[in-house]
Amino acid sequence: MNEHEKGKALKEQQPSFEQRSGLRELFELFSLTGFVYGPLDERLNIKEALEKNLKKAVPHHVNWLFCFGGLSLFLFTVQAVTGIMLLMYYRPTIAEAYKSVVYVTNNVPFGWLVRGLHHWAANLMIVMVFLHMARVFFYGAYKPPRDFNWVTGVILLMLTLGFGFTGYLLPWNQISYWATTVGTEAPGAVPVVGGLLTTLIRGGAEVSQTTLTRFFAVHVVILPLVISFFLMGHFFMIRKQGISGPL
Amino acid sequence: MSEVLGEKANKTEEGEPFFPNHMLDQTMMVFVMLAILVTLVMFFPAPMEPPADPFVTPEHIKPEWYFLSAYQALKVAEHFSFLGAWAPKVLGILVQAGGLFLLVLLPFLDKNPERHPRKRPFMIAMGILALIALAALTIWGKLS
Repeated sequence: MNEHEKGKALKEQQPSFEQRSGLRELFELFSLTGFVYGPLDERLNIKEALEKNLKKAVPHHVNWLFCFGGLSLFLFTVQAVTGIMLLMYYRPTIAEAYKSVVYVTNNVPFGWLVRGLHHWAANLMIVMVFLHMARVFFYGAYKPPRDFNWVTGVILLMLTLGFGFTGYLLPWNQISYWATTVGTEAPGAVPVVGGLLTTLIRGGAEVSQTTLTRFFAVHVVILPLVISFFLMGHFFMIRKQGISGPL
Repeated sequence: MSEVLGEKANKTEEGEPFFPNHMLDQTMMVFVMLAILVTLVMFFPAPMEPPADPFVTPEHIKPEWYFLSAYQALKVAEHFSFLGAWAPKVLGILVQAGGLFLLVLLPFLDKNPERHPRKRPFMIAMGILALIALAALTIWGKLS
């Protein structure tokens, strides 16, 4: 008797939809077994989908160099969780931003830990995204049919750098203020539209409250939405096409 | 992994099953990463700089380490001022934008179907050159 038949026999022993009391179904949902054995599985075939995905074979040539993409996703998750936690205390005004960061660090329980995690996971994420790209390059894994996935990957790298650039201003300290002043001058060198670009990014002639509001909105709303969109595309494509074959 | 547990039947021709074999490897990698992350947080707390003061310009303004290469490239471009007053800034920004554009289009520019590094020496050489240039600019930016 194989796994599938065993499962079938087990299912036949269980009471049918009609015989069930609502209480039992409720218990199965609350105990989460409903998703794999109970009412939700009967309707959605979750167990079958889960088995199919968990048993999916990973090719033998996959070595430790293939871990950087997954680690980037792990660090992204750390950033999302710690970022939301910091958002509970951060105040995006030039009068209060710095004070709120000091408050988080010194007064909020484990605030120093959450802020430290957000700071270091950001740096490590850049390293991991870069190593992931280098691995894909040297393995020639960007070639067709995975060429479009390389394009989404480079866009994801730029979005990650965008997170770094906008997040750097938020504590509103000396180095972040002046680094942003210098950094936003760079697009000004583009011919014809340069001056317009700098004004657009800063929301005025200088780095000011408008810049802080703008960078805050981009860092916590716009970039997370855009990066989620590209992450889904990136994962959908690798899932559909599979990991690149051996060299 | 699977041999240790005596589950040879589990091993298909295509490779190891994702769960639990590959997942265990991945979880170990995540824990190594977490260990590095927590070590950094514990021994090197996030810096607390003085508050922003628009009237006092600090002596050395440098970006985060991952923007140092771009920053240094803009400074290197200043040596092209003999071409005219416009040259340094425009060249500095356009060369970098062009580089990013080439990076996005890499799979469409590299028409060589070979994947093994030994069979595509040109692209591998370009990649190594780009890495060296990036590292050199970053270190130069840090030291200057």
